[in-house]
Amino acid sequence: MRRGPNQWCLLALAWLVLSGVTASSQERIFPFPTTEFELDNGLRVVGVDYDSPGIVAYYTVVRTGSRNEVEPGFSGYAHFFEHMMFRGTEKYPTDAYTDAVKRLGADSNAFTTDDWTAYHTVASADALETIIDLESDRFLNLDYSIDDYRTEAGAILGEYNLNFSNPVALLRESVRDLAYTTHPYKHTTIGLLEDIQAMPEHYDYSVEFYDRYYRPENCFIVVVGDFDPTELERLAEQYYGAWEPGDFEPTISVEPPQTEERTAEITWPNPTLPWMTIAYHAPAFSDETIDMPAMDVLSQLLFSQTSPLFQQLYLSDQVVDVLSGGAVDHRDPPLFEVLIRITKPDQIDYVRDTVLAEIERMKTEPVDPQLLADTKSAMRYSFASGLNSPGPIAETLGHYLQLTGDPETVNRVYELYDQVTADDIQATAARYFAETNRTVVVLTQEAE
Amino acid sequence: MMSRRHTAWLGGGLGLALAMVACSAADTPALPSAQGVAQPAPNSPLITLRVMFDTGSIDDPAGREGLNALTALMIGQGGTADLSYQELTATLYPWAASISTQADKEVTTVIGEVHVDHLKPFYDIFRELIVAPRFDEADFARNRDFLSNGIVAGLRGNDDEELGKQALNAWLYEGHPYAATELGTEEGLAAITLDDVAAHHGARYTRDNVMVGVGGGYPDGFLARVEADLVAALPAGDGAARALPEPRHLQGHELLFVEKDAIATAISIGFPLEITRSDDDFYPLMVANSYLGEHRTFNGRLMNQMRGLRGLNYGDYSYIEQFIQDGGSTFPVPNIPRRQQFFSIWIRPVPHHNAAFALRQAIRELALLVDEGLLEEDFEATREYLVNYANLYVQTTSRRLGYAMDSRFYGTDFFVDEIRSRLMELTVEDVNAAVRRHLQADHLAIAIVTSDAEGFRDVLLSDEPPSITYNTEVSDDILGEDEAIKGYELSINTERIRIVPVEEMFKRVS
Repeated sequence: MRRGPNQWCLLALAWLVLSGVTASSQERIFPFPTTEFELDNGLRVVGVDYDSPGIVAYYTVVRTGSRNEVEPGFSGYAHFFEHMMFRGTEKYPTDAYTDAVKRLGADSNAFTTDDWTAYHTVASADALETIIDLESDRFLNLDYSIDDYRTEAGAILGEYNLNFSNPVALLRESVRDLAYTTHPYKHTTIGLLEDIQAMPEHYDYSVEFYDRYYRPENCFIVVVGDFDPTELERLAEQYYGAWEPGDFEPTISVEPPQTEERTAEITWPNPTLPWMTIAYHAPAFSDETIDMPAMDVLSQLLFSQTSPLFQQLYLSDQVVDVLSGGAVDHRDPPLFEVLIRITKPDQIDYVRDTVLAEIERMKTEPVDPQLLADTKSAMRYSFASGLNSPGPIAETLGHYLQLTGDPETVNRVYELYDQVTADDIQATAARYFAETNRTVVVLTQEAE
Repeated sequence: MMSRRHTAWLGGGLGLALAMVACSAADTPALPSAQGVAQPAPNSPLITLRVMFDTGSIDDPAGREGLNALTALMIGQGGTADLSYQELTATLYPWAASISTQADKEVTTVIGEVHVDHLKPFYDIFRELIVAPRFDEADFARNRDFLSNGIVAGLRGNDDEELGKQALNAWLYEGHPYAATELGTEEGLAAITLDDVAAHHGARYTRDNVMVGVGGGYPDGFLARVEADLVAALPAGDGAARALPEPRHLQGHELLFVEKDAIATAISIGFPLEITRSDDDFYPLMVANSYLGEHRTFNGRLMNQMRGLRGLNYGDYSYIEQFIQDGGSTFPVPNIPRRQQFFSIWIRPVPHHNAAFALRQAIRELALLVDEGLLEEDFEATREYLVNYANLYVQTTSRRLGYAMDSRFYGTDFFVDEIRSRLMELTVEDVNAAVRRHLQADHLAIAIVTSDAEGFRDVLLSDEPPSITYNTEVSDDILGEDEAIKGYELSINTERIRIVPVEEMFKRVS
């Protein structure tokens, strides 16, 4: 067992006592005492001491998402596999697993994104060993039949169906397909319908997927709340120590630079207002360079409720009722997506032109210093307010761990936000908001 | 919150709504101190304010459905006498503070969240929004459009699951004050004027029907100050209790088909219940319901039998009261209490060719519960689950505060404590007796969102057993039970079958 760093525990404890979650720009954004250790097989465990008497959150972070779906015809498998992880082992068949979780009164579920998959449980603190037993067992010993596999494919199709009763799902799928040519971000996490429909025939691929990615060096355990760090270390060694490491490295295509604007118009068969997405390829997550933090500040300046676009399009003209924009943290370059619902169908061009003009303005006019300060303040207070119970804290830390593997990343990235200048914003806008880097998709109601 | 910021503004933040506090008819300008609810968390830097009024969609005048929701939105997305909405949002922005409203059938709640660093200036704005909202013409036009679009585009074309639930509400509560959506109706919203909103505010946002709640790291005396401020600034109410008639009695299986271009078939089933959290029988029914269909878990039979064993869809659940999932959690949003509740089953979209089977299976599962009840081992396991799980309802101060206020509404001890104490006193016989008293499978409102309504209707009315198609071979046990499901007879009331094109839904109260 190797010891990992425990860089900020003492300092953070002092803040916790004084003021709880802090939002001051002078202090670390993630204030809770943290311990970390690594097993010989490469599994890393991060514990967060948080004042939640009797409650603990337990997250298993797998650094695999739809980004890892590199073979054609096999989109959606990271998400599918998340479902299969509830299909039991020899020790805990499905019914036994469900019964055990039920007895705990646990809130237990999972989710999958482009980059990672999380299995999460929130339960009484005295259930920690049972949780570790159940979770480690399915990560080490998952065992499902071909019939279970094919049955679960029906649930996946059901999830696709419920998502695609919303036009935004279709819009997002279209934007991804158009904006990317080779990178797996070309498809959304749920996968393509034809691949989902073919899933029942690919049992062997699902087994291969488990063998590739459900390995200790590709995972983190995050525990938050009421637990004993020493006991956690003992339990982790006991239950995860036999987990065999793997060595699979996916070959993920690098998306070539986009060289011209791409546009599409799609239709929706049911009543809807027009929707539009304007997307730009954006920088990958980094806690070292300024581009990504500058883009995040730009999203605030462009689309918060204090932004000129909000004032004009929503309050004055009243031609939109949804207006959002930004990029979600990704390991590879994601899209900065502007999502708009237009309330007056004859104003689509006006809305697009107004948004594009404001984006252009960001390249040429420096941001007002007070507005920049207010924006940084809003970002810090918003983040701090979300750290209000063990589950969200574990999810937050898991998010940053899957990106860089370093729990200190969360503090570093918020330090970078504080360093963003007006010049950074102009330069970043000029670098990424180019017409040749843009994809625009408009969705309207199908004509009668 | 943990991911990189994606600045999103989804017009409205439209909540749902709620109401009905036992109101005092007294003229004395004093807020009953018993109505103040405190959930202190002295070490927390965050503060939540929840101010709940006894006003909901049941207070909408005929032909003005949506008035309560629009009034709430004029508070949550409007300005004060001193600050326009634009100025107000600019003030709140650097604090990342929020003010929203949640409007349901009987109550409406104004919710504020702020860091302690900014409590004083935040509270001044929060209070003014409640007692003296701006009622600006431009805000009115925008907010009314937002609600209308929520019906015309949102419900009809952007979310079949919510469409199914609202269709069930309209069908189940036909002729009852609960019948309209919390958003109102398309025609009702179009008829509302700004004067209507101001009048509604004056009549319903009174010191006699308000419940104040504060939670988190607020300073000493804060709750008393909020109460005193509202007493001083809000008008007296008329003190009249609002009549709420009994829902109509369902007759057999009543079918409402909503026809649209649907990728799969969404189904919601329900009937009125006579009990709420105020009643002793709520708690044994809570156990029975969890056994049948606990929300978004594999604990319930519906989920295990329909999704787990058969892969019919993504999920199948049941409820004994109005349930709205709180964000990405699996827990119900607080502050939507009602004097009348309903039982429901939610079948998430099923491929069209398996939909008739799924409908029959869900109703049969309900019938099995009524006829056979829970076994002792099922009862013990479900009770143990609920007693532990209830602790997780209140992981944040805001949710804890909301539940405490709901408990005040229902006249009970704190809900989570009630669950623990009541359930520990139960026996399996208590549960099964309560099931027999309150649940049944013979008289149901059924809402079906599908693409070929006439075809589906004909399948249900025919003598042919419904088909079921699997991705794989299934066990003889499952095939055997499938035959029982196929042979389960529905009690369709042919006088109560309606097919409605989606464009006609929610135009007006039928």
